[in-house]
Amino acid sequence: MMKKAVELVLLLLLLFFTPHIMGKRYSPPGKPTLTRCRSPEKETFTCWWEPGSDGGLPTTHALYYRKESSERVYECPDYHTAGENSCFFNKNDTSIWVNYNITVVATNTLGSAFSDPVDVDVVYIVKPNPPEKQTVTIMEDKGWPFLRVSWEPPQKADTRSGWITLIYELRVKLEEENEWEMHLAGHQKTFNIFSLRSGGKYLVEVRCKPDHGFWSEWSSTSYIKVPDYFHREKSVWILLTIFSAFIFLILTWLLHMNSRSLKNCILPPVPGPKIKGFDNQLLKNGKSDEIFSALMVSNFPPTTSSNYEDLLVEYLEVYVPVEQELMQEESKDLHGGCLKCERSTSDSDSGRGSCDSHTLLMDKCGETKEEGRHTDRASSRMLTEAQRHQKGWEKDTLTYAHGDMVSPDMSNGRVKTWPSVFSPLPQYSSNPLDKQSSLEMAKQHCLSTSSCLTQPGHSTKEALGPSNWDFCLGNKQPHLLHPQTQVGRQLQAHSEVNISNIGRKQAPAGLQSPALRSTEYVEVQRVNEEDLVLLQPVVSGCGRIEGYPQMPKGKDYSKVKGVDSDNMLLLQREVMEEDWCPGVDQEINGGTGNCYTSSTVNTTQKPTACIHTAMPVQGDMALAMNGYVDTATMCTLPTC
Amino acid sequence: MPKSVYISFAVLTLVYMELSMRVVTAPICAYGQAGCHAPSLADLFERVIQQSSRMHGISSDLHSELEQYFFPRKNVLGKHKCHTYGILTPDDKENAQRLGREQLTDVILSLLAAWSDPLSQLHRSMSQDQNQNFNDHSYSKALEISDMVHELREGVAIMAEKMKLLGVLGNTMGYISPESLVPSSAFTFYKQGELNSVDHHDLLYCFRRDSNKVKNYLQILKCTILPGLDC
Repeated sequence: MMKKAVELVLLLLLLFFTPHIMGKRYSPPGKPTLTRCRSPEKETFTCWWEPGSDGGLPTTHALYYRKESSERVYECPDYHTAGENSCFFNKNDTSIWVNYNITVVATNTLGSAFSDPVDVDVVYIVKPNPPEKQTVTIMEDKGWPFLRVSWEPPQKADTRSGWITLIYELRVKLEEENEWEMHLAGHQKTFNIFSLRSGGKYLVEVRCKPDHGFWSEWSSTSYIKVPDYFHREKSVWILLTIFSAFIFLILTWLLHMNSRSLKNCILPPVPGPKIKGFDNQLLKNGKSDEIFSALMVSNFPPTTSSNYEDLLVEYLEVYVPVEQELMQEESKDLHGGCLKCERSTSDSDSGRGSCDSHTLLMDKCGETKEEGRHTDRASSRMLTEAQRHQKGWEKDTLTYAHGDMVSPDMSNGRVKTWPSVFSPLPQYSSNPLDKQSSLEMAKQHCLSTSSCLTQPGHSTKEALGPSNWDFCLGNKQPHLLHPQTQVGRQLQAHSEVNISNIGRKQAPAGLQSPALRSTEYVEVQRVNEEDLVLLQPVVSGCGRIEGYPQMPKGKDYSKVKGVDSDNMLLLQREVMEEDWCPGVDQEINGGTGNCYTSSTVNTTQKPTACIHTAMPVQGDMALAMNGYVDTATMCTLPTC
Repeated sequence: MPKSVYISFAVLTLVYMELSMRVVTAPICAYGQAGCHAPSLADLFERVIQQSSRMHGISSDLHSELEQYFFPRKNVLGKHKCHTYGILTPDDKENAQRLGREQLTDVILSLLAAWSDPLSQLHRSMSQDQNQNFNDHSYSKALEISDMVHELREGVAIMAEKMKLLGVLGNTMGYISPESLVPSSAFTFYKQGELNSVDHHDLLYCFRRDSNKVKNYLQILKCTILPGLDC
């Protein structure tokens, strides 16, 4: 009995626990859910649901729907056509523009579950099938290929009656690419694709959508291979290459032809040295001596009277001692006519001294002679030179002349005369007709010095006295514009040294030559306030004019008009009233003649004084004892 | 002086161009009277269909905007109907094709006529309703669709006349005035509740559907009368 009870209990326990051991529980089904409803052509539609848990028991699902504004509930007519868990509504059951209220019910033995209802209007759930009969062909447009894609609408969708209106879209890509290229085709059923890569393989797909609905799935892929039109592109490149090579060759040839001129244009040659007498070859040879000797110009550096200052020189020195002083005046000649003279300290204050009276002329002359003696030594050389050029010149006279004139250093305050001034003088004196030479010399030298030159050929040695001075006036070439002293002659002698650089204004050749010839001594009367040096002609009437070829008679340049900017004395012509002392006579000292030689002392910086002396045309014989007017050096525009 | 001359010349030129090149709009008349440019039937269809499509689009936008502000209702329309329920409309393709073109045209016209009045009141009503938050776009859209309904109605009428002229459409149109089919005060049809507030959502729902019907019917009509490339 105990045994049976125990067995019964065990059996009961077994029966009771078996289900627990198995792990199975029965429950009513879970809630199904309607996933989607779709209509392919707006004439039928299908709904799918998702069942919930079945609860361990076989569950059945049922779909119930209710049409709009009707309470009648219908059940799904077809559960199988569309597959499992689906409900297919055929044409008879489908109404457009009607709201369907659909519910799915899952049922099992333990219970049932209702899904959430879904409202469906077929118009808005249309998802057509993909387009069909898709074709892709290659066509050519002016040699360039393009793809033409054409398709048909899905068969079920009735677009022909206008029931459904579809819009299409296609996508293209190369086989090796990842991204598609989308094209919206609209309502049309064909489409062209351009810009193809030659030799590429393309994939094309199409899909469609109704006006308000869902996009269809993509159609099946169409493959197409674009033929190679590569050669056409290449030919263009080949042509371009050939053309550019041709152009390049032409350019190279042009460059080669014009290389020289181009080189000159781009890299201009370096200018070589342009030095006179410089020989590049010598330089290359490396003989420096030759080079520099070649550079040596005969007259470089100028050692002679290229120096203005050398030329200038002359001063008008007027002594103011008791007696008259010989004033040596120098005037510069402009170019060519300048006699080269020694440089002499200019005495700006040459106005000192004065030949105030005619009567003193003789005295002055004498004095000058004396002074000349003093300066004999210094002027010896000048004398020498002067002698050279002269015939019959007394040495003494020359000496005196020189002494007076040419010894700048020696005599204080003496106006130095240019040697060149004097140099022509002797010539003239010697050869009154030697105008040419004198002219030349005059040209060469600046005869601005005014010096009374003693008459050539006049033995003045003994007659250092007034006789000398007489000679001045009585010079054979009395018509010298500038009465020239002996010193002047000396200057003349020296004048051969080029003074051309002086740049004096050339005294009129004619003027000068005669000026050179005539050596006249003019007494400087005074210097007026205008810096006008008035020279008193020593003798009047004693002058003997000889051959003043260029000298117009009656011209008297005894007055200085003024000093121009170049420190030149401008002599004023004056008509010679007086007789012109032609003569070599010694009566010159009469001083009746007017010797106007005005010379202005240059008060400028230049030490030399530009003195223009106007030689009385008539060859004023009166020679100032003190003043030397070198008519030869009368330049209208003398430059110091 | 020349400056003023140039200016005056330029002004004169502009005035002349303005007067000579004035663009004159050619009125379209269905009957092809003198001075009118008579469009073809295809053009008319094209124009009408485009208009209806656009109208439907705007109404859909408006409806979806309203739906954002609403707790999604389980029952659309609830127990209510659209006020145009009286107008029998084909609800599938076969029925529509069976209806015939004349009746189809009638239906279209009826529908359009039925919606003229309610839409014109819609905008006013929308502004007065405090419950719903409409933005400016909604207001403009409501105004736009009300205008469109009027234009479309006129256009379809012209097209129908043209079709009759062409003989495409028979004269057996039994045009039933919409008043008999539609409640007199259509707009009040959508009023709900004691407060008599208009359910704009229902109204727009109904209109969206009806505009779709119109469009679809027009398309059917077109493909029936003018079968061509688009059909």
